[in-house]
Amino acid sequence: MVAEKMFGAPKDSKAPNPELEKLAANALREAKKFKASYCDIRIVRLRDQRVSLRVSPERGTGKSLAVPGVAEDSSFGFGVRVIVNGAWGFAASPIVTAAEIARITGEAVIIAKANATIQPKPLQLAPVKAYRDRWVTPHDKDPLDVPMAEKIELLRKVTAEVKKNAKVFSGSASLNLRSEDKYFASSEGSSIQQYILQIYGNVDATAVDRENNISRSRSYVPTQASAGWEYVPEMNLEENAQRIREEVVEHLSAPAVKPGKKDLLLMPNHLMLTIHESVAHPTELDRALGYEANYAGTSYITPATIGKRIASEQCTFIGERTSPRALGTCGYDDDGVKSTSFTIIDKGIFKTFQTTRDQAHLIGEKESHGCSQADSWATVPFQRMPNVSLSPGSRETTLENMIAGIDDGVLIDGRGSYSIDQQRYNFQFGGDAFWEIKGGKKRGMISRVSYQARTPDFWQACDATAGPSYWGQYGTTGDAKGEPTQINSISHGCSPTRFRKIDVILTD
Amino acid sequence: MITRDEAQKLAQKVLGLATFPECQVTITSSEQAYTRFANNGVTTASFNLRHNLSIVVTRDGRSGSMAVNDFDDASLKSAVKLAEELAAIAPPNPERMAPVGKQEFPATNDLDERTAAARAPEMIPHVKTIIDAALAAKMVAAGLIERSLRVTSIANKAGLFGFHRSSDSQLTTTIRMADGSSSGWAGQPSMKLSELDSKGLAAIAIEKCSKWKNPQRLEPGKYTVVLEPTATGDLVRLMSQAFSARATEEGRTFLSKRGGGNRLGEKMFPEFVTLRMDPFDARQPSSPWTGDWLPTRTMSWIEKGVIANLAYDRYWASKTGKEATPGGGGGFGGGRGGGGGGGAASLIMEGGKDSLADLIAGVEKGLLVTHLWYIRGVNPQTLQQTGLTRDGLFMIENGKITTPVMNMRFLESPVRLLQNCVRIGQAQRVRGLEGGMMIAPSIVATDFPLPSVSDAV
Repeated sequence: MVAEKMFGAPKDSKAPNPELEKLAANALREAKKFKASYCDIRIVRLRDQRVSLRVSPERGTGKSLAVPGVAEDSSFGFGVRVIVNGAWGFAASPIVTAAEIARITGEAVIIAKANATIQPKPLQLAPVKAYRDRWVTPHDKDPLDVPMAEKIELLRKVTAEVKKNAKVFSGSASLNLRSEDKYFASSEGSSIQQYILQIYGNVDATAVDRENNISRSRSYVPTQASAGWEYVPEMNLEENAQRIREEVVEHLSAPAVKPGKKDLLLMPNHLMLTIHESVAHPTELDRALGYEANYAGTSYITPATIGKRIASEQCTFIGERTSPRALGTCGYDDDGVKSTSFTIIDKGIFKTFQTTRDQAHLIGEKESHGCSQADSWATVPFQRMPNVSLSPGSRETTLENMIAGIDDGVLIDGRGSYSIDQQRYNFQFGGDAFWEIKGGKKRGMISRVSYQARTPDFWQACDATAGPSYWGQYGTTGDAKGEPTQINSISHGCSPTRFRKIDVILTD
Repeated sequence: MITRDEAQKLAQKVLGLATFPECQVTITSSEQAYTRFANNGVTTASFNLRHNLSIVVTRDGRSGSMAVNDFDDASLKSAVKLAEELAAIAPPNPERMAPVGKQEFPATNDLDERTAAARAPEMIPHVKTIIDAALAAKMVAAGLIERSLRVTSIANKAGLFGFHRSSDSQLTTTIRMADGSSSGWAGQPSMKLSELDSKGLAAIAIEKCSKWKNPQRLEPGKYTVVLEPTATGDLVRLMSQAFSARATEEGRTFLSKRGGGNRLGEKMFPEFVTLRMDPFDARQPSSPWTGDWLPTRTMSWIEKGVIANLAYDRYWASKTGKEATPGGGGGFGGGRGGGGGGGAASLIMEGGKDSLADLIAGVEKGLLVTHLWYIRGVNPQTLQQTGLTRDGLFMIENGKITTPVMNMRFLESPVRLLQNCVRIGQAQRVRGLEGGMMIAPSIVATDFPLPSVSDAV
C-alpha cells in the first residue's frame, strides 16, 4: 500500500514523486556523513502476474482436465550502493522507511571499508550527467490492470485449440505480466523514476508414442515484449496453437537427421539465442577482463580484438536499450546513464564492448554504454547485456531465395537445448522444430537435430541474412550471470540467416 | 529475522483475514552476506535482507495466489482480498487436494548459529588467504564466499503450522595464469562457515592451474573418465526429476516401459549404485516438510542398482492408491503433471572407500574431469545432456596423471553414465557451478562420449 502511493504520479508527469526523493535523501545524507565518495539508492517495486492453464488427460478416463494457475507476486524494497576508500559496498532491505534507509546505508559503508582493505586499485567512475526525469514504457493499456477473467478466457481458447488434435497428449498456455517501478537517486544529483512493463506468452503441446517410448514437444513463444496489453492480440496465440498441435504430431514420427556438415537456415526465434550466447555474452567487458572468471567465465574476445574481424561482412551487431518493445529497453540504467545505442560489430569487425561506469576507463573510453542492471532492489547492479541485435540484410535477400541457395541443409525454428563453453568458443544448439532442405526446397520435418560449432568460425560462415521485412525481436527472460546469480531480460533482433557447412549432429 | 512466535502470529493474522474456507500461508525470510572477488581484488559484496509472504486461498476448488513483502495490516488485507478475487474467477482445479491437517514435522538439524550470523570480518580473511596464495604463485584469483540464513514458516486453516531455520555457506575459487593460459577450480559447500578451508581450496586450484598449462588436443570419441565428486554431482542430480510416477506412467521418462508400465524393481545399474534422499544427513540443508507439506522422510530411488521407488505427489498417490512420498513434486494444485518432481532435495549417491587417487591409479587409459559447465538437457526422456569440461582435464595413463588435455564437450545421459560406471570412490557434499547440490562420489565410467574439442581455458 505504501508502494502504491509512493510510485504514483500524475499522468505524463516528467518529475519523480517527491516522496521518493525525500526518502532517498536519507541515504545520500548518511553516506556523506561516512565520507563516501559516491552513493546511490534504488527504491523498487516489482509486480509479477502469472496465469496458466495445463490440459492433460485424467488417469483412467482419458478425459481432458484443465488445471489452472493464477498467481501474483509483489516485492518492494531498496538497495544502497556506496564507494568508500575506493571500494564498493552494498546493502538492501525490504523495510522502506527513513530510519531503515539510514541504517542500511551504514551497513553498506561497513562492507565498503572491509572490501577496501584488499582492493588493489580505487574504483573510477566515468562521468555522467545529472538527470531529473520520469520514464515510462510506451503503452496504451497497463497489462496488470486488465481483468484476470479476460486472461483466463484467452488461455482457455488457446489450450482448446491445442487439444483439437486427439494425438496431442497434453498442452499448456501461459501469460506472464511484469512491471517494475524503479526510483534511482545518486550523490551526483540524479533523480530518476521509471515504470517498465514486460509481457511474455507461451503455448506448448506434447505428443507421446508409448510403443516406441518417444515423447516430443512443440512450443510457440511469441515475441516477449516491453509493451502494454494492446500487444497481446498481436501474439496470435490461437492461430499458432493450431499450427503447433499439427507440428508436434509430425515431429513425433519425423525421421532422424543424417548427421554431417550441412547449411543451416536459422529463423529469428531460434537465432536470437545463438546471438545471445555467442555474440552478446562474449562482448561483455567484465567477462573479457576476468571479473566473471569464477562462474560465467571469460571471453574469447579481449580488448586486443578491437578492430579485428570476428564475423563475416554480413554481420553487424548493435547494442542498445532504446528499441521499441525490446525487453531491455528503458530510459536509464542502474548507474543513472541514459539509454543509448552503440555498434558492437560492424560488418564483421569488432568495435567495442558493453560497459558500465566503473568499467569504461579500463578500455580507454570516456563514457559508459549504459549496461548496468540489477534484477531486484536486493541485488547489486553490475554489467548486464543490453538488447544486442543483428542488423538485417538487403531488401533483395528473401527467405525463399536463401532456401533456394541450399542444396543440403536444415531450417531450424524455436528454442531448444543450448550450451556454450566458458569463453564462448564451442557451442551446441538444438531447436524446437527442424525441416530438411534438399535441392533448394524445404521438405518435411526431421528430428533429433543439434549443431556444434566454434563461435568465430560459425559467424564467418554466415553468408546471408534476410532483409528488413523479415526482421523481428525475440526475447529471453532468463539470462543468468553473476554470483549469486541474477536474471536479466533482453531482446535480440534478427532476420532469418544462413550459415554454410556447419556440423549437424544426431542426438537421442 | 522473523522468530517462530512472530511467524505464527503473522500467519494467524493472515488466516483470520481470509473469508474463504481454505487458506494457506508461506512466510520466508532470508539474510545473505557475500563477497565476490576477481583479478586478485574484491569486486562486489552485499548484505541483504528479504522477506516474503505467499497466500493461497481456495473455495469450491478454485484457487488464487498472491505474494507480498509489505507486511503492514493494510497490505496484508489487500493481498488476501486480491487472492480471493483471483480465486473467484479462476476455473476449478480438478486435481486439487483437500488441505493437509496438523502435522508433526521432524527436526532436520541444519542451522549453525555462527554461520547464520557471520559478516565481512569472518569472510574477508578467507578471500585474503586465496588472493595471497594466488599472488605468491603469480596467478590471478576469482571467487565467491557466501553465507545465508533462511527462515520458512507454513500454516493453513486446517491447523497445520511449521517453522524452520537453516543456514549454509560456500567458498569457491577459480585461479588462472595471469596470461589466461590455464585455469584451476576448487569449491566447498559447508553447513558451517568455520569449516571452510580457504588454504586447502587455494592449494587445489593453484595445483590444477599449474598442471593444466599447454593442454593437448585429443581426438573426439568415447573415453573412460574419472569424474571428481563435483562432476558426478553435476550429472547425477539431473536424474531425480525422472522418478516422477506420473511422468513415468505417462510414458515420458527413462523409467517408462515400451507400451506401458514402469521399470520399478528392475536392476538397471551396477550393484554399487545407490541413490537416495536423506533430509536428516547433517552434511547438507533440507526441509522438515515435503512439497505437499507432509513430514519429510528418507527415500531410496536406486538401491544396489535396482529401481527402488517412484515419487508420488498427493494427487497422483490418490489416483493410484499409493502413499505420497517426498520428492513427489507437491504444489497445492495436486499433481504438477509436468514431469518434474523427483527426489531433487537431499540427494545422496552412496560412495565407497576408495580415494580419488585410488580410482586414478586403477585406470589404464582415461581422462580425469574436474567439473562440468553449461549442462543442458537434450532429450528429457533419455535424460541426454550436453555440456563441457572445465578448469582442469587431464589424461590418465597407466594409473598416473600425465598430460593436460584441452576441454571437451560431452553428450551423455546420467542414466548411461551410471550404467557404464565401473568403480566408485568416497562421497562428499558438492555444489556445481549451476547451483545443484548433493552428496556424490568420484566415479570411473567407461565410454563417455566427448564429441568435440573446446578452445576455452
